[in-house]
Amino acid sequence: MQQAPAKKKKKIKVPRVINGIETMVEIEVDEDSGPGWGPNDKHTLLNHRMTRVDGPLKTTGGAKYTYDQRLPGMLYARILRSPHAHAQIKNLDTDDAAKIPGVKAIIPAPLKEVRFAGAPVAAVAATTPEAAADALRAIKVQYEVLPHVVHATDAIKPGAPKVVDEANENNLQQKNKNGDPAKAEAALATADAIVEAEYISPRIHHACLETHGIVVDYRGGNTATVYASTQGTFTIPEDAAKELELPQSDVTAIVQHMGGGFGSKFGIGTEGMFACRLSKQTRAPVKLMLTRHDEFVMAGNRSASWQKLKAGVKNDGTIVGLQARQYRLGGIGQGSQAGQPYIYRMGDTYREVYSLHTNEDSSIAMRAPGHPQASFAVESLMDELAYKIKMDPVEFRKKNLRDVVYHRQLDRGAKEIGWAKRNPVAGGNVGPLKRGMGCAVGTWGGGGNNQCKVDVTISRDGSVLVAVGTQDLGTGTRTYTRAIVAEEFGLQVNDVREEIGSSKLGGANSSGGSTTAASLSPSVKDGAIKARLLFSEKVAPLLDNAQPGEITFSGGNVSAKGKSVTWKQACAALPAAGVMGHGEWRQDLQASGIHGAAFAEVEVDVETGHIRPIKMVHVQDGGLPLNRLTLESQINGGMIQSLGMALWEGRVMDAQLGLQLNPGFGDYKLPGALEMPELVPIIDDDDKREAVIGVAEGCIIPALGAVVNAVFNASGVRVRELPITPDKILMGLMNT
Amino acid sequence: MAKEEDVKEKEQSSHDPSRRKFLKGVGIAGAGAALVDKWSLEVEAQEKNPPAALSGTVSLTLNINGENRKASVEPRTTLLSTMRDYLEPAVTGPKLVCDVGTCGACTVLLDGKPAYSCLVLAVDATNKKITTVEGLGTPDRPNAVQAAFVEHDALMCGFCTPGFVTTISAYLTKNPNPSLAEVREACKGNFCRCGTYPRVFEAALAAAKNGKTA
Repeated sequence: MQQAPAKKKKKIKVPRVINGIETMVEIEVDEDSGPGWGPNDKHTLLNHRMTRVDGPLKTTGGAKYTYDQRLPGMLYARILRSPHAHAQIKNLDTDDAAKIPGVKAIIPAPLKEVRFAGAPVAAVAATTPEAAADALRAIKVQYEVLPHVVHATDAIKPGAPKVVDEANENNLQQKNKNGDPAKAEAALATADAIVEAEYISPRIHHACLETHGIVVDYRGGNTATVYASTQGTFTIPEDAAKELELPQSDVTAIVQHMGGGFGSKFGIGTEGMFACRLSKQTRAPVKLMLTRHDEFVMAGNRSASWQKLKAGVKNDGTIVGLQARQYRLGGIGQGSQAGQPYIYRMGDTYREVYSLHTNEDSSIAMRAPGHPQASFAVESLMDELAYKIKMDPVEFRKKNLRDVVYHRQLDRGAKEIGWAKRNPVAGGNVGPLKRGMGCAVGTWGGGGNNQCKVDVTISRDGSVLVAVGTQDLGTGTRTYTRAIVAEEFGLQVNDVREEIGSSKLGGANSSGGSTTAASLSPSVKDGAIKARLLFSEKVAPLLDNAQPGEITFSGGNVSAKGKSVTWKQACAALPAAGVMGHGEWRQDLQASGIHGAAFAEVEVDVETGHIRPIKMVHVQDGGLPLNRLTLESQINGGMIQSLGMALWEGRVMDAQLGLQLNPGFGDYKLPGALEMPELVPIIDDDDKREAVIGVAEGCIIPALGAVVNAVFNASGVRVRELPITPDKILMGLMNT
Repeated sequence: MAKEEDVKEKEQSSHDPSRRKFLKGVGIAGAGAALVDKWSLEVEAQEKNPPAALSGTVSLTLNINGENRKASVEPRTTLLSTMRDYLEPAVTGPKLVCDVGTCGACTVLLDGKPAYSCLVLAVDATNKKITTVEGLGTPDRPNAVQAAFVEHDALMCGFCTPGFVTTISAYLTKNPNPSLAEVREACKGNFCRCGTYPRVFEAALAAAKNGKTA
């Protein structure tokens, strides 16, 4: 094969934040690279407020999600789950179930040992949802029940039932250690004050409103179409093809709209495996959407955490050392937790990180995996240290943060929440309804990668199509994809149409790690720039044979040399097939590294322990904001999910039965309309980076610590185990 | 077959969600839904050795968004499932999210009043005017709430949106000039996970200002 000749490179300067200092750095790009984004305040559409283009469909019930697919002859599939936290499946009797009219296929799960309650045991496909449900009840399973353990505090005791082979007798696996324990010990000896505490957070459920699921359209032919509720259109065909025994290129994944993922939806999953096998066996389309109960007990979750921290501080606010022992509680999985110290400089530090296993389903990625857990612990610790040396928590943070971006964000947030009105004495306000404030910071990457292939086609009738296989999770992908192209041609958002959500279109990365915007938008911009060049050559004869660089696009007109034609007139000069620009990723159009600062004000009723969130503020940078309206929504969403973790959410397990006690929205408390505080999302426009950066995950991190610290400031009660329910406040008041 | 009087009798006893849960749970089905109560003891006795002998469907007509729609479903089939899984073509605006009346994503209007369609049996909805989010407006002609939701970005993934739009549209008909506190109260039966609440409230208040909802 002949290799493409290496492209000539050129060096350009772009703004970056390095070690907390904004600076211009030189990077290498292709010599024929088009222009960059230009200054953030010079855009006509981007960095403005654009309503989302799929809004009209979604508000009128017309948006078709995977759950809404119904195909001729389609079978409904359901999964039978184990009621035991640990057991061997001795026998699976499906005879009665198979006799139920409408039941077409029953297949066993591949594994004979279940290690958590809710583990799949078998799957059925039937002509109606009712018949499928009946079949589940008619399957007789003989289990040999084995010992289980579901609480971390029990699992770590000697003699606890062993959960995974790889762990030691305390169900521990050491994941890493970092730092010098002797140095940390010596540093702590020099401290003026020490805080030693344990912080615990429970498992958090993604609770995507559209459950995990898939519709496999296969009827025994040579091709299949798979509708999936997924964050990765291109994560579907390979696995589905393997199960269906088809070439990957003959399996098409479709993801037009999806009802929430938050990190939990990649690949076909267990449900996809069953759906494909059932479809292959029956040669009929199969729909397998998890039930809400399934979703709680087998679809993954944010791992719980248990962190033992000891830090020392000087009276001037300098933190001198930290010792940390961190347990990641991921059930049979490894769990995730960012290493301590998270964000802050803490002098000489030493940490050991372990996975501590229980008989629960494996945790999986959830919006900023491992970060809220680490943030909760370190932000609580920071607050405790600040109160101990009687230093203002904002000033104390700034003292131990090198990165000046945090400094300006903390100042901004403090002003917005009214920090100056805060009573520095925790629980010091009079009366039973006590208000207080807290703050915290967060970070994330958000850079992109080179996977998106985007085609921008302009037709002779003036219509514009931008096509790429990516997916829109509700983040506004469709809208900014249109807007980037529209702005390049001086058009309006609705003059462009986007085609996304199909593996038959140009490749795209999965929406994980907040990488979509920074991966996709450079490719869209590149495609638009290339289409613009081709377009300019074709319309030049209309404009005194102007050079491409002389032609401008603005307000629906194409102009050069004092001449101007309308968009439609210009397009009429195109060849029959129009022109198409093929866009590839450009590193220089994106960046990585974001900052956020959050503040919260809460009111604690010290007679009942009830906590009412009053106001939350989140200041977030992120380079070029593609769409201010949807970005603010995303920041709001981060604050609300963070608030849920602080005050209400958490899986509750029964030690004896090994079952989840709250596997539904009736008992697992999600943030609701009545609890909403005033929310203030602030886009940090002091970030002048002319580059796209993903912010979805950054938005969920700091508000949690801010709320936790606000509760302390209000009530004087430091709750170190989430969620902060009223009973914990009352217990705390009793003990102080 | 669902006779007129069967339907009436069912109507009287159908407002207790636990009844529907029972029906849905035990996998019974029979000739007429009215027989259900009489049979319940027998069914409980048979639960250990169930369902093959107890299957059957009823034909019914539902008035959805002004159209009479025919379907053949089991007596235990919910209105939500009937719309999504049995009607041809399906009505999929109302979403199946929790299926036990905790989230509001399946909200429809029954004679103008909001109801969780996962808690209503199809056989109980035959003599009611059913309005779904599709019946409130279209992308070209949205009602004031739908238009305000787009304008104020009161949606992200959009899966809870049909429920919120339906709930608020009905509420504004009842109370055209609500306060923020009243809007919150009206929305308390609907969950959103992406975190759109503040903008849902904004949209509801803006729609009220613009008038003309349902």
